[in-house]
Amino acid sequence: MKSVSRMATTVIHKASHPLSSSSSSSASANTNTNLPAPNRNHNSEMETSTTTTARSAQQEKEFVAHYANKTRSLKTEEIQEDKRNKALGHSSKRLSVKDFELVRTLGTGTFARVWLVRLANASEEDRDKVFALKVLRKVEVIKLKQVDHVNHERSVLADVAGHPFITTLITSFSDHDSLYMLLDYCPGGEVFSYLRKAKRFDENTARFYAAEIVLIIEFLHEKEGVAYRDLKPENLLLDADGHIKLKRRMNDMGLGAELIGKIGETYTLCGTPEYLAPEVIQSKGHTTAVDWWALGILIYEFITGYPPFWNSNPIEIYKQIVSRSVHFPQEPYISSEAKDIILQFCTVDRSKRLGNISGGAARVKSHAFFKGVQWDEVYYRKYRGPIIPPVRYPGDTQCFDQYPDEKAGREPYNDELKRKWEHHFEDF
Amino acid sequence: MQNSAINRNGLHPPSLTPLSNIHKAKSYDTLRSQAGFGNRVPYPNAYLQEIEKLNREILDSQPKDILQFCANFFARRLELERTELLYTHSIDRKMSGTTFPGRMGANSNPFGAPEKERKTSGIMKVMEEDENDSVASPATSNFSFGGGAPTFTSSFGGDAAGPPSSFKPASTEGFPAHYGMGRRTSVSAESLNPTASANDNWSPPFHPKSADQISRLKKSIEGNFLFSHLDDEQSSQILGALVEKPIPAKDIKVITQGDQGDFFYVVEKGSFDVYVNSTGEIQPGSDGLGTKVATIDAGGSFGELALMYNAPRAATVISAEPSCTLWALDRITFRRILMDSTFQRRRLYESFLEEVPLLSTLTKYERSKIADALETQKFPEGTTIIQEGDVGEAFYLLESGEAEAFKNGTSNPVKHYHKGDYFGELALLDDKPRQASVISKTEVKVATLGKDGFQRLLGPVASIMRRTKYETGVEEIDPLHQK
Repeated sequence: MKSVSRMATTVIHKASHPLSSSSSSSASANTNTNLPAPNRNHNSEMETSTTTTARSAQQEKEFVAHYANKTRSLKTEEIQEDKRNKALGHSSKRLSVKDFELVRTLGTGTFARVWLVRLANASEEDRDKVFALKVLRKVEVIKLKQVDHVNHERSVLADVAGHPFITTLITSFSDHDSLYMLLDYCPGGEVFSYLRKAKRFDENTARFYAAEIVLIIEFLHEKEGVAYRDLKPENLLLDADGHIKLKRRMNDMGLGAELIGKIGETYTLCGTPEYLAPEVIQSKGHTTAVDWWALGILIYEFITGYPPFWNSNPIEIYKQIVSRSVHFPQEPYISSEAKDIILQFCTVDRSKRLGNISGGAARVKSHAFFKGVQWDEVYYRKYRGPIIPPVRYPGDTQCFDQYPDEKAGREPYNDELKRKWEHHFEDF
Repeated sequence: MQNSAINRNGLHPPSLTPLSNIHKAKSYDTLRSQAGFGNRVPYPNAYLQEIEKLNREILDSQPKDILQFCANFFARRLELERTELLYTHSIDRKMSGTTFPGRMGANSNPFGAPEKERKTSGIMKVMEEDENDSVASPATSNFSFGGGAPTFTSSFGGDAAGPPSSFKPASTEGFPAHYGMGRRTSVSAESLNPTASANDNWSPPFHPKSADQISRLKKSIEGNFLFSHLDDEQSSQILGALVEKPIPAKDIKVITQGDQGDFFYVVEKGSFDVYVNSTGEIQPGSDGLGTKVATIDAGGSFGELALMYNAPRAATVISAEPSCTLWALDRITFRRILMDSTFQRRRLYESFLEEVPLLSTLTKYERSKIADALETQKFPEGTTIIQEGDVGEAFYLLESGEAEAFKNGTSNPVKHYHKGDYFGELALLDDKPRQASVISKTEVKVATLGKDGFQRLLGPVASIMRRTKYETGVEEIDPLHQK
């Protein structure tokens, strides 16, 4: 296992193209199967493309670069403007992976790999603009029966693009072998890492993150009609200013659950054992109420450092979740407001669970735990993040793990597969 | 926390599980008095706590060199205590800035110090990076807290912070024993689509069983949290779906540790041995099975996690005698039975609710919330479900069977209720006494929701009734179906 060297974390400008190194290092590598290098057919398509297309591609690159400019300040009006005009989240038929320089891997899954990228041949002024590019291999997507899922994920992400606390889908595109989603890059890494390092958060820190998450949940439930279903510190990223960005799930371990499922018809069990609501465990048919349960678990874990229901054997966790209420330890001190909101979220009876009961998220916001919080200011990111990630330059990846290079010799996306499946990927 | 700790450390005496300090002190006192220490001058509590921690670690680690181990332990404890003091101090200062000012007025920052102060302090922005510290990344699951001596670093946003990947494990003092600090993997089951299943007329497999077998099976699974909440219909479908699986010989592996699991098993006849290999999966060789941890006899069951999602088996189970018999149930069948019945009942309730004029202004989203909260009750024939003159607390939808309404002084029913009818709905509106009694004519199944539950979910009914189509423009927006 060869890991990407630390070079990428020190001087981004000198980072070599990881693809060229990985393909040259593997003798058996077939250029056609090496992802995400564009396939030859695709190249020839690009070469024969008209000048108008080329100009459009340039315009789209400029949009991408311009978007990056906005993320620096992320003014309220700009977020809203993007939302109204839906400039974000479109499928691009012009961009290709060649428009980006792949710097290093930020994360991997069975059929997806997320790269830190910047614009290829960027002008001096745009050299510092970095993004996360999620690359999904069509072959793997088909094999793992995730075709509907990735399309669904793309469309939901496009819908929510522009929300201040959800990873932004800037654009998506595809080539012969792969599907691509260009996302904003959160250099701070996972809240999980900071929580485990600090052991636990004080209540102000927990409140800060909880407040941003309340706005995410409110938006997803009450505006978009979807549930997130996998809230946990591992799925919360920090941007350079220390604000939350809800993670794109990297389909960890290949258990390709829906990241965000349309509610109403949700019967798929998915989530993380410690954070599963009792109705999910008992297959009672679950609704958006599962996210409020998980938020209760999350606040508890923020404040104590560990979740309220825990055992090394998941079955024992589930037994606890369905049979007993949340207990609080003697140490650390937990305010009565915090205890109350945790207990109100972690209520088995959904007709009594805070967030699900009348008033919805508005009632959550007026809970004593959030007393004094100016919700508009939270949304517009006026509060300063309690943890400012140690980000030294825009493409700094020191908050992320190192990942080995992609293995060569992957199964190709052949003509037979293409005939059968290509039309399913039209939206990308 | 106490119970779980004991479960987890099944082998340890309860007094050695990591309870809160106060509990520890108490339990240790109890031990001492039992041991005959009686009325002597008590040891300081702090000392007892340390000794107890040491005991625990010795139990966990089984060291060969006891003196060295104890010396290391106390050195580490001392370091930890000092660092924790510093840490507590620094975290007070650095993490929250000031005490929570939300209580002081609307203009203060409920998350800590105001922005300007924070900026000038500059303590959160740390540029240092210590390469040597990067070995144990917080994002990998296998950095260890047990065994060796964890070095406590105070650093959260503190002077030595660096990236989160430069992290040394923090103290797990006060954490649940053996708490896994690694990243947690998401789990998921196969996606089942109830809408599709309504069309393809799926019906669960049915394997006939004798009355004796049924009652034994019922007894085997009734206490299991995956089955305990099922209604009669779901239960009988699941009992019917269990399929017999003869295990003809001794030493047949039914499940193998580390393999993906799809089936849950109940032992009908014979017995099975459970082995756990500490590596997490079975190994080649004669002792590759690991340690025998249990024996499961007739009436017992195993492999239940497979009913929730596909996960590696936690143990190997082997037949311990010839000609055993198992009952097996696979995850897809189990989940599909549950999903279909839940889904069908939900649709049924929603369609019932649509017929209630009092609730006609509810949006689809609101109706689904109510349908979600309805509880099923069964009454035998001749039961008075509501009593004239009582204060109404709940309303009822008749799911199956028949019922009749009687008024005081009349011997003939004033109203008949059939499937889909509802009664007692006025209770949602006011506190007036029930206008009639409703008595079941046959065995009935009703779906019911109390006034409290209704109001918790949707607010007062009176205001819902006051809605008209004209003025409900906003409320009509159904967040589920607005697109």
